[in-house]
Amino acid sequence: MKYLDQIARYRWEGLFLFSLLFPFLCGFDKYLMHVAITISLNVAMATSMWLIWTLGLISFAHGGIMGIGAYTSALLLTKYGVPMWIGMWVGAAAAGLFALLISFPLMRTRAVYFFMASWAIGEVIKRNFAYFRDFTGGWNGVFNIKAPVLDLGFISLDFSDRTAFYYLAILVVSFVILFIYRINKSRTGMMFWSIHEHELLAQHIGINVLKQKVIAFTVACFLAGLAGALYAHYQTFINPKSFDIWKSEFALVHMIVGGLSTVGGPVTGAILLTVIDELLRAAGHFRVISFGVILIGVVILLPGGLESVPARIRNYLSKDLHK
Amino acid sequence: MNVEKAQLLNVDNLTMRFGGLVAIDDLSLKVSQGEIRGLIGPNGAGKTTLFNAISGRHPATEGTIRFKNREIQKLKPHSIAECGLARTFQHVTLFKNFSVLRNVVAGCQLKCDYSFWGALLNTRDTRRREAESEARALEFLDFVGLGHVAHAMPSNLPHGNQRTMGIAIALASEPRMLLLDEPCAGMNIEESQEMVNLIRKIRDSGVSVMLIEHDMKVIMRVCDNITVLNFGTRIAEGTPVEIRENPLVRQAYLGSTTDVA
Repeated sequence: MKYLDQIARYRWEGLFLFSLLFPFLCGFDKYLMHVAITISLNVAMATSMWLIWTLGLISFAHGGIMGIGAYTSALLLTKYGVPMWIGMWVGAAAAGLFALLISFPLMRTRAVYFFMASWAIGEVIKRNFAYFRDFTGGWNGVFNIKAPVLDLGFISLDFSDRTAFYYLAILVVSFVILFIYRINKSRTGMMFWSIHEHELLAQHIGINVLKQKVIAFTVACFLAGLAGALYAHYQTFINPKSFDIWKSEFALVHMIVGGLSTVGGPVTGAILLTVIDELLRAAGHFRVISFGVILIGVVILLPGGLESVPARIRNYLSKDLHK
Repeated sequence: MNVEKAQLLNVDNLTMRFGGLVAIDDLSLKVSQGEIRGLIGPNGAGKTTLFNAISGRHPATEGTIRFKNREIQKLKPHSIAECGLARTFQHVTLFKNFSVLRNVVAGCQLKCDYSFWGALLNTRDTRRREAESEARALEFLDFVGLGHVAHAMPSNLPHGNQRTMGIAIALASEPRMLLLDEPCAGMNIEESQEMVNLIRKIRDSGVSVMLIEHDMKVIMRVCDNITVLNFGTRIAEGTPVEIRENPLVRQAYLGSTTDVA
């Protein structure tokens, strides 16, 4: 067990080191940097959605919630001139607060009713962005969301530069992953999983199930809002369609393909599938179909997702040894 | 009423209705501290419903339930667990994908002084408390005789051990009273005997026990007092000997006066 923990640690450290060195390895290639930034945002979405999954729930409101973070931060900048450094935290807090309020009724629903209710919430959020035309720009969305400039006196960093933004994204995503990793390792995570495993028993050993569900949902949505704010300032324009059900569904597919039992799953899934998605850019609308094929393929051929691959290899090798 | 015989659980005029069905009808019941109380009755008599009412799973329609002189019939299950009332379930109820030890560590929830931020930041205090929880969980596993399989997965254990594990999880919340719903269901004679010994051991450690059981040998051997339910009402209450001789009980069970046990 200790040994496996150690390996997992090396993998995380390796991934982090690689992501730090990536710009140098790819020669600061504009396109590759763009892909890397997209990956990191997708990783943030998939991992934060996975935190809700540790309760045994899948929230299709996640795209909409990400939108709340994005719109809050974007509007704060374009309407009131509040810089992103503050805006992204306000955006995340707004997403978290909204999630907190909505989770009290939402968390009373179960299983398929939860999926439907959360989908409805995501859809309502999106429609609201479109509805308030004067303030949010309707279906056209918000433009000119400039990335910030960090003036440190001796040096001024312009985050509209891809490399600078890349490091910002890596910083934020590392924060998101670390946050979720720590929650999952702690007793909080144990409570979430116990609710996942057997809600009734969890109640009767003294876990306030509603409270824990609200906490998990709020934290996950806070982090999704943070990713959304980052997304807005990277794209420089957003519209309601950026935050529809597809955002949630892609995060879900990333999560399932990567594997559902550890944080490593959604991270792996998001990285790999975003790369595949980019490779298939030339294939037009086959991109979406390929997603479906990959999803079905993984569910049938590799239950447990990509994260189960090392264990499978280990099992295979040890069987060979015993022959 | 002397000190040892203080009332722990008082159920007064409890009625449980589900739509038109009256599962428990105006039932009153007292359990003293340090008692092992048996709850028997034919299928559908309302035994498990009573447990569900006491443990807060289903809110009482009418009547009061007092535990340690505190009204608990309006509380949620987790608050009732906090009061010191734990339960097990009729079917094997575990966290299946947790190891045996982790199951019981999760059961220590109420006694581990948990704080969200402490857990998140993994402070030294939290680490110490978690280590304590784990040590305590091991103690409980040793207590029920499962210490040697602490690191196994529950699905690899025999049925009897899984049931015992359910009790260890309940005990981990350090309750004053434990409700056992058919602890010996599906057990062979040896396992039942071990369960009887365990129930006595639990009582001797200061936890009152109320159990539902269909195995009359177990009930007669382990209980101080027995309450018999039929159609949601109490038809008899007394020591095992009294119950054995009670004609009403025989009639409820067998429809005749043949010997029960």
